[in-house]
Amino acid sequence: MQHRKKNWTRKRPIAVTIVAWGIVVLFLIRVYQVIEPLISQGVFENGIAGPLYQGISLTPLGSALLTSAIYLVLSLAGLAVLIGFLRLKRWSWVMLMAWTGISLTITLINYFYGQPNYVVLTSDTIIAFALSQADVQRIFKIRMDEGEHLN
Amino acid sequence: MNTLTEAPAQAAQARLSSGASNLELLRRYEPVIRFTKGEQFYPTDVDRYVEESSLWAHYPDGRDELLVKQDDLTLESLVEQRTAAFGTVHYMRFIENLSLAESAQVLAEQVRLRGILKNNFHPGVGRLARGGLLPRIVDALFSVSFLLRGRVPAASAAAAELDYFHMRAKKEKYIYYGRVARQNGWVILQYWFFYCYNSWRSGFNGVNDHESDWEMISIYLYEDKGQLAPEWVAYASHDFHGDDLRRLWNDEDQLDQVDGHPVVYAGAGSHASYFRRGEYQAEANLDLPSWIRTARKTWNSFWTGALGQEPVDPFRIPFVDFARGDGLSIGPGQPKEWTPVVIDESTPWVSQYRGLWGLFARDPISGENAPAGPMYNRDGSPRGAWYDPLGFAGLDKVPPPTQALQLLEKNCKEIAERQIQLQSLIPDQADELHTLGIKLKGMEGNPHLAKQYGLVEKKMAALAEDVKGLRREHTENSIVLQGLTARLDRMRKGLPEDPRAHIRHLAMPVKTRRMRFERAAQAWAAVSLSLMLFGFVGLLFLAPQHLWAGLVVITLLFIVTESILRGAFIQTVGQLTVWLAIVSAVILILHFWFWLLIGALLAMAIFLLLQRWRELTG
Repeated sequence: MQHRKKNWTRKRPIAVTIVAWGIVVLFLIRVYQVIEPLISQGVFENGIAGPLYQGISLTPLGSALLTSAIYLVLSLAGLAVLIGFLRLKRWSWVMLMAWTGISLTITLINYFYGQPNYVVLTSDTIIAFALSQADVQRIFKIRMDEGEHLN
Repeated sequence: MNTLTEAPAQAAQARLSSGASNLELLRRYEPVIRFTKGEQFYPTDVDRYVEESSLWAHYPDGRDELLVKQDDLTLESLVEQRTAAFGTVHYMRFIENLSLAESAQVLAEQVRLRGILKNNFHPGVGRLARGGLLPRIVDALFSVSFLLRGRVPAASAAAAELDYFHMRAKKEKYIYYGRVARQNGWVILQYWFFYCYNSWRSGFNGVNDHESDWEMISIYLYEDKGQLAPEWVAYASHDFHGDDLRRLWNDEDQLDQVDGHPVVYAGAGSHASYFRRGEYQAEANLDLPSWIRTARKTWNSFWTGALGQEPVDPFRIPFVDFARGDGLSIGPGQPKEWTPVVIDESTPWVSQYRGLWGLFARDPISGENAPAGPMYNRDGSPRGAWYDPLGFAGLDKVPPPTQALQLLEKNCKEIAERQIQLQSLIPDQADELHTLGIKLKGMEGNPHLAKQYGLVEKKMAALAEDVKGLRREHTENSIVLQGLTARLDRMRKGLPEDPRAHIRHLAMPVKTRRMRFERAAQAWAAVSLSLMLFGFVGLLFLAPQHLWAGLVVITLLFIVTESILRGAFIQTVGQLTVWLAIVSAVILILHFWFWLLIGALLAMAIFLLLQRWRELTG
C-alpha cells in the first residue's frame, strides 16, 4: 500500500508573504536612496574628486556620501531582516516589530504636528497588524501554544 | 517533629467514635497554623480584646457616640440590648484616636520592639516589581484613593502591635473558637480564629488594614460504622468560593498534615488560610463604575477576539499574600499549643452582638472597616459560613461517602426501571402513531371529513411529539446510566476518584520568579513612577512646545525600559506597536472614510458580479 507523503514543513502564512514583499519594496527604495546622491554628485563618472568637509561642515559631496552610507546600512539591515524573515527567524520578527513601532511613533508625532505621511502610516499599520496575527506569531515562535517549548 | 504523614493511612487512624463530645472532636482535628516570619498578630481570645476596647455607635446623620468606654466594656455589657435607628452601626474601637505626638511615639516604640524581637519580614521580590508600569499607575491611584476613602490611621497598626504584644506578654494564649454543626449526614467542625488586627497593608504592602480579624476553617466528617471519619477540609480564602475552597482529606498534594491535623499556611497580615505554603498573587477588587467595566469588557473582546492578542488587564494590582509558613507554628506538637473554646448559637457574644469587632472606618468599599463576628456579616445579616456550612464549601450537593453508594445504586435502579418502562411504552405509542397515520391517509380526498381530519391531524402531531420525547429520554438515560454504572463500579471496587475534579479555580502559589537584573528591576519599580513624573515636569519647563511629543516619547521609553528589566521586551513591543497601529488605523479611517467606503462598495460589486457570472456560466 502506498502511503501519501505528508508535508511536515511549516507553511508560511499569507501575512508573512505580504510583509516580506513590503520589506523587498523598502529594500529597493533604500538601494535607490544609496545610489541617488552618488549619481547626483557624479561619483560614478568622476570618483571622489574633491574635499568631503570644509571646516566643521560637510561639503555637498561629503553630505551625499554620508547619506548614501546611512542608507546603505539601512538597506543591508533590511536585507538581513528579509533573509531572517523568509527563514522564519524569531529575531527578525522582533526587529521588524520594534522598527515598525519606532516608525509609527515618529509618523504619528509628525501627523499631530501637521506633517502627515499617510503612505508610511498605512504601510506600518498593515505590517503591524500582519505581524501581530496569531499564526504569524506562532510560526516565528513568539507565541507558544500550551505544552510547546522554545528550543 | 513535623512530619507530613501518609494521608490514607491517617484517615483510618483519624477516626473517632461518633459518641465523642464536641470538644473531643474539635481537639482531635484541630489544625496546625504556620505563620510567615514577621507576623505580628496571632489567634487570641475575645475577652481581653473586648476589655481593651470601647463600644461606639455611628448614626445615619454621621454622628459617633461613645456607648461604653474602655475598661467598662466586657463580653456581658457588649451584648446588652441597644435600640437604635435604621442605618446605625455599632462598632468597637481597639485603638483610640492618637495625637501626632502619640503617633510618633508608638511608631518609634514599634521600631524598637521589632528590633528586640528580631521578627522582621523580608518581602523578597517586591510586589511592585511583579506587575508592569500600568498596574503600578493604577496602584498609585488606589493609594491616592485612601485620601478620599475612610482608612485606618497609620499609627493604629503600630499601637495595636504594641498593645497585643503587652497582652501576650501578660498571658500567652493561642485560642480557637470551635463549633460543631450537624447537617445532611455531615458533622462539621468549624475553627474560628480571632486576631486583634489585620495589618496586611501597613505590614506587608497588602490591600487593607482593619481592627480585628476573623478567619475560619472547616473540617467535614461522616459517620461510618459508629465512627466519624474526616472527608473534606475547607479554608476561607480571598477570591475563592464554594467548591474551590475545599480539598479532600487524603489529597496529599494539596493538604499537608501533622499526625492527622491539617496544616494551614496563614497569609502575613491578612491571615487568609492557604493549603500550600508560598506567595499568592491577590488582586484588589476595584469597584469600577459600570460604564468602565462595560468599556473594558468590550475592549477586551475586541483585543483578544478581533486582534487575536493575549488578554491584558491593566487594572490588576499585584498584591501579594505571603503564606510562607516560616514563622511561628501553632498547634498540636508545635512550639505553641491551642487553647480551645467551644461556641455555638447559645454563646451570647456570638449570637447577640451584631456590630463590628473594631473600627468602622467609613470605607464605602468596606476593605478598611472591621469585620463582624462569626455569625454575622458587616451589615448585620447572618453569615453564610455559619448558617450554611455545607453550602459555604459547595458540599450541600455532596452526600457523605457512606450514603453516596446507596444513593447512586438507587439512582441507577430508578433509571434502569424507567428504561424498561420506556422500552415497552415507545413501541406502543409508535404503533398508535401508525394507526393514526393510516386513518388520516384514508380520510384524504373526502371533503366532508375535513373537520375530523383536522382533529386527527392535531392528535397525531401531539403523539408524534410524545414519541420523539420518549425516544430522546431513552437515549439520554442510556448515556447517563452508562456514566453512573461506571462510577458505581469504581466505587464498589474502591478505586480512587480525581480528588480535585470539583475545583474550578485552584489557588496556587506564584512561582518565585527570578527576574532579569533583579535588583535593578526592584529599584526601577520603586522609583520609575516618580522619575516619569519628574520627566514630565522637566519637559514642561524646558520644552513646553514639544510637550505632547515629549510625553509620548518619555512614556514609551519608560515602558520599554521596564519591559527589558522584566524580561518581557518582545511581548511589550508587540503590544505597543499594535496599540499605535490601532491609533493609526483610526486616523486613516477618519481621513479616508469616503475612499474606504467607495473601495468597499466596489469590492462588493465585483464580488457579486463574479458570483453571478459563475452561476450564469455554470
